[in-house]
Amino acid sequence: MGRQFLAILRKDLIRELRTREMLVSMFLFVMLALVIFHYAFGVDDEADLTSLTGGMLWVTFVFAVLLGLNRSFAQEKDEQCLDGLLLCPVDRVTIFLAKAAGNLVFLLIIQAVSVPVFTLFFVERSYLPDLGLFILVLLLADLGICTLGTLLATISMNTRARDLLLPIVFLPLIVPVLIAATSATTAIFAEGADLGALLGRLGFLAAFDAVFLVAAYGTYDFAIGE
Amino acid sequence: MDGSASETNPGAGGVPPAGAALEIEVDGLRKTFGRRDVLRGVSFTLERGGFLVMFGPNGAGKTTTLRVLATLLAPSKGSVRVAGHDVREDPMPVRRAVGLISHSPMLYLDLTAQENLRFYADMYRLDDREERITELLDRVELAHRRYDVVRTFSKGMRQRLAIARAILHRPRVLLLDEPHSGLDPRAVDILDGLLGEIREEHTFVMVTHHIEKGLELATRLMILDGGKIVWEHGAGVARDAFDAVYREHVQEGSVL
Repeated sequence: MGRQFLAILRKDLIRELRTREMLVSMFLFVMLALVIFHYAFGVDDEADLTSLTGGMLWVTFVFAVLLGLNRSFAQEKDEQCLDGLLLCPVDRVTIFLAKAAGNLVFLLIIQAVSVPVFTLFFVERSYLPDLGLFILVLLLADLGICTLGTLLATISMNTRARDLLLPIVFLPLIVPVLIAATSATTAIFAEGADLGALLGRLGFLAAFDAVFLVAAYGTYDFAIGE
Repeated sequence: MDGSASETNPGAGGVPPAGAALEIEVDGLRKTFGRRDVLRGVSFTLERGGFLVMFGPNGAGKTTTLRVLATLLAPSKGSVRVAGHDVREDPMPVRRAVGLISHSPMLYLDLTAQENLRFYADMYRLDDREERITELLDRVELAHRRYDVVRTFSKGMRQRLAIARAILHRPRVLLLDEPHSGLDPRAVDILDGLLGEIREEHTFVMVTHHIEKGLELATRLMILDGGKIVWEHGAGVARDAFDAVYREHVQEGSVL
Protein backbone atom coordinates (compact mmCIF):
# COMPACT_ATOMS: atom_id res chain seq x y z
CA MET A 1 0.00 0.00 0.00
CA GLY A 2 2.80 2.42 0.90
CA ARG A 3 4.47 2.28 -2.50
CA GLN A 4 1.18 2.73 -4.35
CA PHE A 5 0.07 5.55 -2.04
CA LEU A 6 3.35 7.38 -2.61
CA ALA A 7 3.19 6.76 -6.36
CA ILE A 8 -0.24 8.41 -6.66
CA LEU A 9 0.72 11.27 -4.33
CA ARG A 10 4.03 11.85 -6.13
CA LYS A 11 2.30 11.79 -9.50
CA ASP A 12 -0.26 14.39 -8.39
CA LEU A 13 2.43 16.62 -6.86
CA ILE A 14 4.72 16.45 -9.90
CA ARG A 15 1.85 17.18 -12.22
CA GLU A 16 0.62 20.11 -10.14
CA LEU A 17 4.06 21.62 -9.64
CA ARG A 18 4.54 21.40 -13.41
CA THR A 19 1.17 22.86 -14.44
CA ARG A 20 0.23 24.85 -11.31
CA GLU A 21 -3.40 24.68 -12.41
CA MET A 22 -4.83 24.13 -8.94
CA LEU A 23 -2.35 26.11 -6.87
CA VAL A 24 -2.52 29.25 -8.99
CA SER A 25 -6.31 29.32 -9.11
CA MET A 26 -6.62 28.60 -5.38
CA PHE A 27 -3.95 31.15 -4.49
CA LEU A 28 -5.46 33.90 -6.62
CA PHE A 29 -8.91 33.21 -5.21
CA VAL A 30 -7.71 33.36 -1.60
CA MET A 31 -5.73 36.54 -2.13
CA LEU A 32 -8.57 38.26 -3.95
CA ALA A 33 -11.03 37.21 -1.25
CA LEU A 34 -8.78 38.57 1.49
CA VAL A 35 -8.31 41.87 -0.33
CA ILE A 36 -12.05 42.18 -0.87
CA PHE A 37 -12.73 41.38 2.79
CA HIS A 38 -10.12 43.93 3.79
CA TYR A 39 -11.82 46.71 1.87
CA ALA A 40 -15.37 45.53 2.58
CA PHE A 41 -14.94 45.34 6.35
CA GLY A 42 -11.96 47.54 7.00
CA VAL A 43 -12.91 50.88 5.55
CA ASP A 44 -12.98 52.31 9.05
CA ASP A 45 -9.44 51.94 10.38
CA GLU A 46 -10.76 51.82 13.92
CA ALA A 47 -13.00 48.82 13.25
CA ASP A 48 -12.19 45.75 15.31
CA LEU A 49 -12.30 42.87 12.86
CA THR A 50 -10.90 40.21 15.12
CA SER A 51 -14.33 38.75 15.88
CA LEU A 52 -14.79 38.11 12.14
CA THR A 53 -11.39 36.56 11.53
CA GLY A 54 -12.40 32.90 11.83
CA GLY A 55 -15.37 33.29 9.51
CA MET A 56 -13.44 35.19 6.87
CA LEU A 57 -10.58 32.74 6.92
CA TRP A 58 -12.55 29.51 6.73
CA VAL A 59 -15.17 30.67 4.23
CA THR A 60 -12.27 31.66 2.00
CA PHE A 61 -10.50 28.31 2.44
CA VAL A 62 -13.65 26.25 1.88
CA PHE A 63 -14.43 28.00 -1.41
CA ALA A 64 -10.78 27.83 -2.46
CA VAL A 65 -10.62 24.10 -1.85
CA LEU A 66 -13.66 23.62 -4.09
CA LEU A 67 -11.61 24.98 -6.98
CA GLY A 68 -8.90 22.43 -6.28
CA LEU A 69 -11.15 19.44 -5.71
CA ASN A 70 -12.73 19.62 -9.14
CA ARG A 71 -9.36 19.96 -10.81
CA SER A 72 -7.84 17.07 -8.88
CA PHE A 73 -10.14 14.60 -10.61
CA ALA A 74 -10.45 16.39 -13.93
CA GLN A 75 -6.88 15.30 -14.75
CA GLU A 76 -7.81 11.67 -14.06
CA LYS A 77 -10.64 11.90 -16.57
CA ASP A 78 -8.30 13.27 -19.26
CA GLU A 79 -7.14 10.54 -21.65
CA GLN A 80 -9.06 8.00 -19.51
CA CYS A 81 -6.28 8.00 -16.92
CA LEU A 82 -8.83 6.96 -14.31
CA ASP A 83 -9.30 3.70 -16.20
CA GLY A 84 -5.54 3.18 -16.13
CA LEU A 85 -5.54 3.78 -12.38
CA LEU A 86 -8.49 1.46 -11.76
CA LEU A 87 -6.88 -1.25 -13.86
CA CYS A 88 -4.02 -1.42 -11.40
CA PRO A 89 -4.12 -3.95 -8.54
CA VAL A 90 -4.55 -1.26 -5.93
CA ASP A 91 -7.00 -1.06 -3.07
CA ARG A 92 -9.50 1.72 -3.80
CA VAL A 93 -8.99 3.07 -0.28
CA THR A 94 -5.33 3.65 -1.15
CA ILE A 95 -6.44 5.78 -4.10
CA PHE A 96 -8.72 7.75 -1.78
CA LEU A 97 -6.05 8.30 0.85
CA ALA A 98 -3.49 9.41 -1.75
CA LYS A 99 -5.89 11.79 -3.47
CA ALA A 100 -7.02 13.23 -0.11
CA ALA A 101 -3.39 13.61 0.96
CA GLY A 102 -2.64 15.46 -2.27
CA ASN A 103 -5.54 17.83 -1.72
CA LEU A 104 -4.37 18.34 1.87
CA VAL A 105 -0.86 19.23 0.74
CA PHE A 106 -2.18 21.75 -1.78
CA LEU A 107 -4.46 23.34 0.84
CA LEU A 108 -1.61 23.56 3.34
CA ILE A 109 0.61 25.23 0.74
CA ILE A 110 -2.09 27.83 0.10
CA GLN A 111 -2.56 28.35 3.82
CA ALA A 112 1.17 28.69 4.45
CA VAL A 113 1.21 31.61 2.06
CA SER A 114 -2.14 33.20 2.83
CA VAL A 115 -2.32 33.03 6.63
CA PRO A 116 0.56 35.50 7.13
CA VAL A 117 -1.12 37.85 4.67
CA PHE A 118 -4.38 37.38 6.54
CA THR A 119 -2.80 38.28 9.88
CA LEU A 120 -1.32 41.43 8.37
CA PHE A 121 -4.76 42.50 7.16
CA PHE A 122 -6.99 41.49 10.03
CA VAL A 123 -5.21 40.53 13.24
CA GLU A 124 -4.31 43.28 15.65
CA ARG A 125 -2.20 41.28 18.05
CA SER A 126 0.44 38.72 17.34
CA TYR A 127 -0.94 35.19 17.04
CA LEU A 128 2.46 33.65 17.62
CA PRO A 129 1.78 32.67 21.27
CA ASP A 130 -1.13 30.51 20.05
CA LEU A 131 0.51 29.30 16.87
CA GLY A 132 0.59 25.66 17.97
CA LEU A 133 -3.13 25.62 18.66
CA PHE A 134 -3.88 27.43 15.44
CA ILE A 135 -1.86 24.90 13.45
CA LEU A 136 -3.76 22.11 15.19
CA VAL A 137 -7.08 23.71 14.20
CA LEU A 138 -5.81 24.09 10.64
CA LEU A 139 -4.72 20.45 10.41
CA LEU A 140 -7.91 18.99 11.89
CA ALA A 141 -10.23 21.20 9.86
CA ASP A 142 -8.18 20.65 6.68
CA LEU A 143 -8.32 16.91 7.20
CA GLY A 144 -12.11 17.00 7.45
CA ILE A 145 -12.42 19.29 4.44
CA CYS A 146 -10.12 17.14 2.30
CA THR A 147 -11.61 13.83 3.44
CA LEU A 148 -15.18 14.83 2.72
CA GLY A 149 -14.20 16.85 -0.33
CA THR A 150 -12.23 14.04 -1.94
CA LEU A 151 -15.04 11.55 -1.37
CA LEU A 152 -17.66 13.88 -2.85
CA ALA A 153 -15.40 14.98 -5.72
CA THR A 154 -14.99 11.32 -6.63
CA ILE A 155 -18.73 10.76 -6.65
CA SER A 156 -19.45 13.91 -8.64
CA MET A 157 -16.70 13.45 -11.24
CA ASN A 158 -18.77 10.93 -13.18
CA THR A 159 -21.72 13.27 -13.48
CA ARG A 160 -22.26 15.79 -16.23
CA ALA A 161 -22.86 18.68 -13.84
CA ARG A 162 -19.88 17.95 -11.59
CA ASP A 163 -18.84 21.61 -11.32
CA LEU A 164 -22.29 22.40 -9.94
CA LEU A 165 -22.96 19.20 -8.03
CA LEU A 166 -19.82 19.25 -5.88
CA PRO A 167 -20.50 22.59 -4.14
CA ILE A 168 -24.19 21.77 -3.76
CA VAL A 169 -23.36 18.55 -1.91
CA PHE A 170 -20.13 19.60 -0.25
CA LEU A 171 -21.07 22.94 1.28
CA PRO A 172 -24.02 21.79 3.43
CA LEU A 173 -22.07 18.78 4.69
CA ILE A 174 -18.99 20.80 5.59
CA VAL A 175 -20.97 23.27 7.72
CA PRO A 176 -20.18 21.46 11.03
CA VAL A 177 -16.45 21.72 10.30
CA LEU A 178 -16.86 25.32 9.25
CA ILE A 179 -18.63 26.18 12.52
CA ALA A 180 -16.09 24.41 14.72
CA ALA A 181 -13.06 25.73 12.82
CA THR A 182 -14.45 29.26 12.72
CA SER A 183 -15.21 29.44 16.42
CA ALA A 184 -11.88 27.86 17.34
CA THR A 185 -9.95 30.24 15.09
CA THR A 186 -11.84 33.27 16.35
CA ALA A 187 -11.22 32.18 19.92
CA ILE A 188 -7.51 31.90 19.25
CA PHE A 189 -7.22 35.22 17.46
CA ALA A 190 -9.73 37.34 19.35
CA GLU A 191 -10.12 36.07 22.85
CA GLY A 192 -6.94 34.23 23.56
CA ALA A 193 -7.12 30.51 23.83
CA ASP A 194 -9.68 29.25 26.34
CA LEU A 195 -8.26 25.77 26.49
CA GLY A 196 -11.41 24.01 27.70
CA ALA A 197 -13.66 25.42 24.97
CA LEU A 198 -10.99 24.92 22.36
CA LEU A 199 -10.50 21.30 23.30
CA GLY A 200 -14.21 20.67 22.75
CA ARG A 201 -14.01 22.16 19.25
CA LEU A 202 -10.83 20.28 18.47
CA GLY A 203 -12.50 17.08 19.67
CA PHE A 204 -15.44 17.74 17.40
CA LEU A 205 -13.15 18.30 14.43
CA ALA A 206 -11.27 15.08 15.19
CA ALA A 207 -14.55 13.16 15.47
CA PHE A 208 -15.75 14.58 12.15
CA ASP A 209 -12.47 13.54 10.50
CA ALA A 210 -12.80 10.04 11.91
CA VAL A 211 -16.43 9.66 10.79
CA PHE A 212 -15.69 10.65 7.21
CA LEU A 213 -12.50 8.62 7.04
CA VAL A 214 -14.52 5.57 8.07
CA ALA A 215 -17.32 6.52 5.67
CA ALA A 216 -14.83 6.84 2.82
CA TYR A 217 -13.22 3.53 3.76
CA GLY A 218 -16.57 1.82 3.52
CA THR A 219 -17.91 3.50 0.41
CA TYR A 220 -14.99 4.44 -1.80
CA ASP A 221 -15.01 1.25 -3.83
CA PHE A 222 -18.59 2.08 -4.80
CA ALA A 223 -17.89 5.80 -5.18
CA ILE A 224 -15.06 5.40 -7.65
CA GLY A 225 -16.68 2.52 -9.53
CA GLU A 226 -19.23 2.72 -12.31
CA MET B 1 -30.14 -14.98 -33.60
CA ASP B 2 -29.07 -16.35 -30.28
CA GLY B 3 -25.84 -17.67 -28.87
CA SER B 4 -24.81 -19.28 -32.16
CA ALA B 5 -23.66 -22.57 -30.73
CA SER B 6 -24.47 -24.19 -34.04
CA GLU B 7 -22.24 -21.74 -35.85
CA THR B 8 -19.31 -22.15 -33.54
CA ASN B 9 -16.27 -23.82 -35.02
CA PRO B 10 -13.49 -23.50 -32.50
CA GLY B 11 -11.39 -26.11 -34.21
CA ALA B 12 -10.56 -24.04 -37.25
CA GLY B 13 -7.02 -23.00 -38.15
CA GLY B 14 -4.82 -21.04 -35.79
CA VAL B 15 -6.67 -22.06 -32.65
CA PRO B 16 -4.46 -23.19 -29.77
CA PRO B 17 -4.27 -26.95 -29.32
CA ALA B 18 -7.19 -28.78 -27.77
CA GLY B 19 -6.76 -29.18 -24.04
CA ALA B 20 -4.99 -25.84 -23.61
CA ALA B 21 -5.91 -24.20 -20.32
CA LEU B 22 -8.79 -21.74 -20.45
CA GLU B 23 -7.61 -18.19 -19.83
CA ILE B 24 -11.03 -16.56 -20.16
CA GLU B 25 -14.39 -18.10 -19.22
CA VAL B 26 -17.52 -16.03 -19.70
CA ASP B 27 -20.85 -17.61 -18.86
CA GLY B 28 -24.22 -15.88 -19.21
CA LEU B 29 -22.75 -12.39 -18.89
CA ARG B 30 -25.39 -9.70 -18.64
CA LYS B 31 -24.74 -6.00 -18.11
CA THR B 32 -27.42 -3.45 -17.51
CA PHE B 33 -27.09 0.33 -17.32
CA GLY B 34 -30.29 1.64 -15.78
CA ARG B 35 -33.02 -0.03 -17.80
CA ARG B 36 -30.82 -0.65 -20.81
CA ASP B 37 -29.51 -4.17 -21.35
CA VAL B 38 -26.12 -3.74 -22.97
CA LEU B 39 -25.06 -7.39 -22.70
CA ARG B 40 -27.75 -10.05 -22.81
CA GLY B 41 -26.24 -13.38 -21.97
CA VAL B 42 -22.78 -13.50 -23.55
CA SER B 43 -20.93 -16.81 -23.13
CA PHE B 44 -17.56 -17.84 -24.53
CA THR B 45 -14.22 -19.28 -23.53
CA LEU B 46 -10.72 -18.57 -24.77
CA GLU B 47 -7.71 -20.82 -24.40
CA ARG B 48 -4.32 -19.59 -23.24
CA GLY B 49 -2.47 -18.14 -26.22
CA GLY B 50 -5.65 -17.55 -28.19
CA PHE B 51 -6.46 -14.34 -30.10
CA LEU B 52 -10.15 -13.52 -30.06
CA VAL B 53 -11.34 -10.72 -32.31
CA MET B 54 -14.78 -9.21 -31.70
CA PHE B 55 -16.60 -7.42 -34.46
CA GLY B 56 -19.97 -5.75 -34.38
CA PRO B 57 -21.77 -2.49 -34.93
CA ASN B 58 -21.46 0.45 -32.55
CA GLY B 59 -23.39 -0.24 -29.37
CA ALA B 60 -23.20 -4.02 -29.78
CA GLY B 61 -21.55 -4.46 -26.38
CA LYS B 62 -17.96 -5.15 -27.48
CA THR B 63 -16.27 -2.49 -25.36
CA THR B 64 -18.53 -3.30 -22.41
CA THR B 65 -17.41 -6.92 -22.62
CA LEU B 66 -13.76 -5.81 -22.60
CA ARG B 67 -14.36 -3.52 -19.63
CA VAL B 68 -15.94 -6.36 -17.68
CA LEU B 69 -12.95 -8.58 -18.47
CA ALA B 70 -10.67 -5.77 -17.24
CA THR B 71 -12.70 -5.39 -13.98
CA LEU B 72 -13.59 -1.81 -14.92
CA LEU B 73 -17.26 -2.81 -14.94
CA ALA B 74 -18.94 -5.37 -12.72
CA PRO B 75 -21.21 -7.96 -14.37
CA SER B 76 -24.91 -7.50 -13.59
CA LYS B 77 -25.39 -11.26 -13.93
CA GLY B 78 -23.36 -14.23 -15.02
CA SER B 79 -19.88 -15.45 -14.31
CA VAL B 80 -16.62 -14.08 -15.72
CA ARG B 81 -13.25 -15.65 -14.94
CA VAL B 82 -9.94 -14.34 -16.22
CA ALA B 83 -6.66 -16.15 -15.56
CA GLY B 84 -8.57 -18.47 -13.24
CA HIS B 85 -10.07 -15.73 -11.06
CA ASP B 86 -13.59 -14.38 -10.82
CA VAL B 87 -13.64 -10.70 -11.83
CA ARG B 88 -16.21 -9.83 -9.17
CA GLU B 89 -15.08 -11.97 -6.25
CA ASP B 90 -11.34 -11.80 -6.76
CA PRO B 91 -10.47 -8.76 -8.89
CA MET B 92 -6.88 -8.11 -7.74
CA PRO B 93 -5.29 -11.17 -9.42
CA VAL B 94 -7.32 -10.39 -12.54
CA ARG B 95 -5.93 -6.86 -12.59
CA ARG B 96 -2.41 -8.22 -12.25
CA ALA B 97 -3.06 -10.59 -15.15
CA VAL B 98 -4.65 -8.11 -17.54
CA GLY B 99 -3.32 -5.27 -19.68
CA LEU B 100 -5.59 -2.95 -21.63
CA ILE B 101 -4.72 -1.02 -24.76
CA SER B 102 -7.49 1.35 -25.70
CA HIS B 103 -7.82 4.02 -28.37
CA SER B 104 -7.19 6.40 -25.48
CA PRO B 105 -3.66 5.94 -24.10
CA MET B 106 -4.42 6.32 -20.34
CA LEU B 107 -1.26 8.39 -19.91
CA TYR B 108 -0.77 11.57 -17.91
CA LEU B 109 0.00 14.20 -20.51
CA ASP B 110 1.94 16.46 -18.13
CA LEU B 111 4.30 13.71 -17.01
CA THR B 112 7.26 12.48 -19.03
CA ALA B 113 7.33 9.05 -20.65
CA GLN B 114 9.59 7.83 -17.87
CA GLU B 115 7.42 9.32 -15.11
CA ASN B 116 4.32 7.70 -16.57
CA LEU B 117 5.95 4.28 -16.71
CA ARG B 118 7.48 4.71 -13.24
CA PHE B 119 4.04 5.55 -11.88
CA TYR B 120 2.48 2.41 -13.35
CA ALA B 121 5.48 0.30 -12.35
CA ASP B 122 4.99 1.39 -8.76
CA MET B 123 1.27 0.70 -8.97
CA TYR B 124 2.09 -2.86 -10.10
CA ARG B 125 4.93 -3.06 -7.55
CA LEU B 126 7.54 -4.10 -10.10
CA ASP B 127 10.88 -5.05 -8.57
CA ASP B 128 12.86 -4.38 -11.76
CA ARG B 129 11.27 -1.01 -12.46
CA GLU B 130 14.14 0.83 -14.13
CA GLU B 131 15.36 -2.13 -16.20
CA ARG B 132 11.83 -2.88 -17.41
CA ILE B 133 11.18 0.76 -18.33
CA THR B 134 14.42 0.99 -20.28
CA GLU B 135 13.68 -2.28 -22.06
CA LEU B 136 10.17 -1.22 -23.04
CA LEU B 137 11.11 2.30 -24.14
CA ASP B 138 13.67 0.71 -26.44
CA ARG B 139 11.10 -1.76 -27.66
CA VAL B 140 8.56 0.94 -28.58
CA GLU B 141 11.32 3.13 -30.03
CA LEU B 142 10.79 5.97 -27.55
CA ALA B 143 14.05 5.84 -25.59
CA HIS B 144 15.10 9.16 -27.13
CA ARG B 145 11.91 10.81 -25.79
CA ARG B 146 12.21 9.35 -22.29
CA TYR B 147 12.40 12.71 -20.52
CA ASP B 148 9.83 14.54 -22.67
CA VAL B 149 6.32 15.20 -21.41
CA VAL B 150 3.72 13.11 -23.17
CA ARG B 151 1.75 16.20 -24.21
CA THR B 152 4.45 16.83 -26.84
CA PHE B 153 4.06 13.34 -28.37
CA SER B 154 2.19 12.57 -31.58
CA LYS B 155 -0.81 10.24 -31.39
CA GLY B 156 1.26 7.38 -32.72
CA MET B 157 3.97 7.95 -30.12
CA ARG B 158 1.39 8.11 -27.34
CA GLN B 159 -0.10 4.86 -28.55
CA ARG B 160 3.33 3.20 -28.56
CA LEU B 161 3.90 4.41 -25.02
CA ALA B 162 0.43 3.10 -24.15
CA ILE B 163 1.54 -0.32 -25.37
CA ALA B 164 4.57 -0.11 -23.09
CA ARG B 165 2.27 0.86 -20.22
CA ALA B 166 -0.08 -2.03 -20.94
CA ILE B 167 2.62 -4.72 -21.05
CA LEU B 168 4.84 -3.19 -18.34
CA HIS B 169 3.70 -5.65 -15.67
CA ARG B 170 3.96 -8.66 -18.00
CA PRO B 171 0.24 -9.41 -18.16
CA ARG B 172 -0.97 -12.81 -19.36
CA VAL B 173 -4.02 -11.36 -21.08
CA LEU B 174 -4.01 -8.31 -23.33
CA LEU B 175 -7.28 -6.56 -24.09
CA LEU B 176 -7.21 -4.34 -27.16
CA ASP B 177 -10.02 -1.84 -27.71
CA GLU B 178 -9.72 -0.53 -31.24
CA PRO B 179 -5.97 -0.11 -30.87
CA HIS B 180 -5.49 0.97 -34.49
CA SER B 181 -8.03 3.78 -34.24
CA GLY B 182 -6.68 7.09 -35.49
CA LEU B 183 -3.14 5.85 -36.11
CA ASP B 184 -1.15 6.81 -39.19
CA PRO B 185 0.17 3.95 -41.38
CA ARG B 186 3.65 4.08 -39.80
CA ALA B 187 2.19 3.85 -36.30
CA VAL B 188 -0.02 0.95 -37.41
CA ASP B 189 3.09 -0.87 -38.68
CA ILE B 190 4.88 -0.32 -35.36
CA LEU B 191 1.85 -1.46 -33.38
CA ASP B 192 1.46 -4.58 -35.50
CA GLY B 193 5.17 -5.32 -35.19
CA LEU B 194 4.93 -5.08 -31.42
CA LEU B 195 1.83 -7.25 -31.30
CA GLY B 196 3.70 -9.81 -33.42
CA GLU B 197 6.67 -9.76 -31.05
CA ILE B 198 4.58 -10.38 -27.95
CA ARG B 199 2.06 -12.68 -29.63
CA GLU B 200 3.54 -15.85 -28.17
CA GLU B 201 3.54 -14.55 -24.61
CA HIS B 202 -0.07 -13.43 -24.31
CA THR B 203 -3.73 -14.22 -24.75
CA PHE B 204 -5.53 -11.49 -26.67
CA VAL B 205 -9.05 -10.18 -26.94
CA MET B 206 -9.37 -7.42 -29.52
CA VAL B 207 -12.33 -5.24 -30.43
CA THR B 208 -11.95 -3.66 -33.83
CA HIS B 209 -13.75 -2.28 -36.86
CA HIS B 210 -10.65 -3.04 -38.91
CA ILE B 211 -11.82 -6.23 -40.63
CA GLU B 212 -8.63 -7.10 -42.54
CA LYS B 213 -6.51 -6.67 -39.44
CA GLY B 214 -8.90 -8.68 -37.31
CA LEU B 215 -9.11 -11.57 -39.76
CA GLU B 216 -5.31 -11.60 -40.05
CA LEU B 217 -4.63 -11.74 -36.31
CA ALA B 218 -7.48 -13.87 -34.99
CA THR B 219 -7.47 -17.47 -33.89
CA ARG B 220 -11.10 -16.95 -33.06
CA LEU B 221 -13.72 -14.62 -34.52
CA MET B 222 -16.92 -13.33 -33.02
CA ILE B 223 -19.68 -10.95 -34.03
CA LEU B 224 -21.73 -9.22 -31.37
CA ASP B 225 -24.97 -7.43 -32.03
CA GLY B 226 -27.55 -6.14 -29.61
CA GLY B 227 -25.62 -7.43 -26.63
CA LYS B 228 -25.46 -11.04 -27.89
CA ILE B 229 -23.01 -13.19 -29.78
CA VAL B 230 -24.64 -13.72 -33.13
CA TRP B 231 -21.78 -15.58 -34.84
CA GLU B 232 -18.62 -17.28 -33.66
CA HIS B 233 -15.97 -19.08 -35.68
CA GLY B 234 -12.37 -20.17 -35.71
CA ALA B 235 -9.75 -18.46 -37.86
CA GLY B 236 -9.34 -18.92 -41.57
CA VAL B 237 -12.35 -16.98 -42.82
CA ALA B 238 -11.86 -15.09 -46.07
CA ARG B 239 -12.87 -11.45 -46.27
CA ASP B 240 -15.68 -12.04 -48.77
CA ALA B 241 -17.11 -14.84 -46.67
CA PHE B 242 -16.91 -12.72 -43.54
CA ASP B 243 -18.71 -9.84 -45.24
CA ALA B 244 -21.51 -12.20 -46.23
CA VAL B 245 -21.74 -13.58 -42.70
CA TYR B 246 -21.79 -10.08 -41.28
CA ARG B 247 -24.61 -9.02 -43.56
CA GLU B 248 -26.52 -12.16 -42.68
CA HIS B 249 -26.23 -11.87 -38.91
CA VAL B 250 -26.17 -8.19 -38.08
CA GLN B 251 -29.48 -6.43 -38.12
CA GLU B 252 -30.20 -4.09 -40.96
CA GLY B 253 -29.06 -0.53 -40.39
CA SER B 254 -26.17 -1.47 -38.14
CA VAL B 255 -22.84 -0.17 -39.31
CA LEU B 256 -19.56 -1.97 -38.80
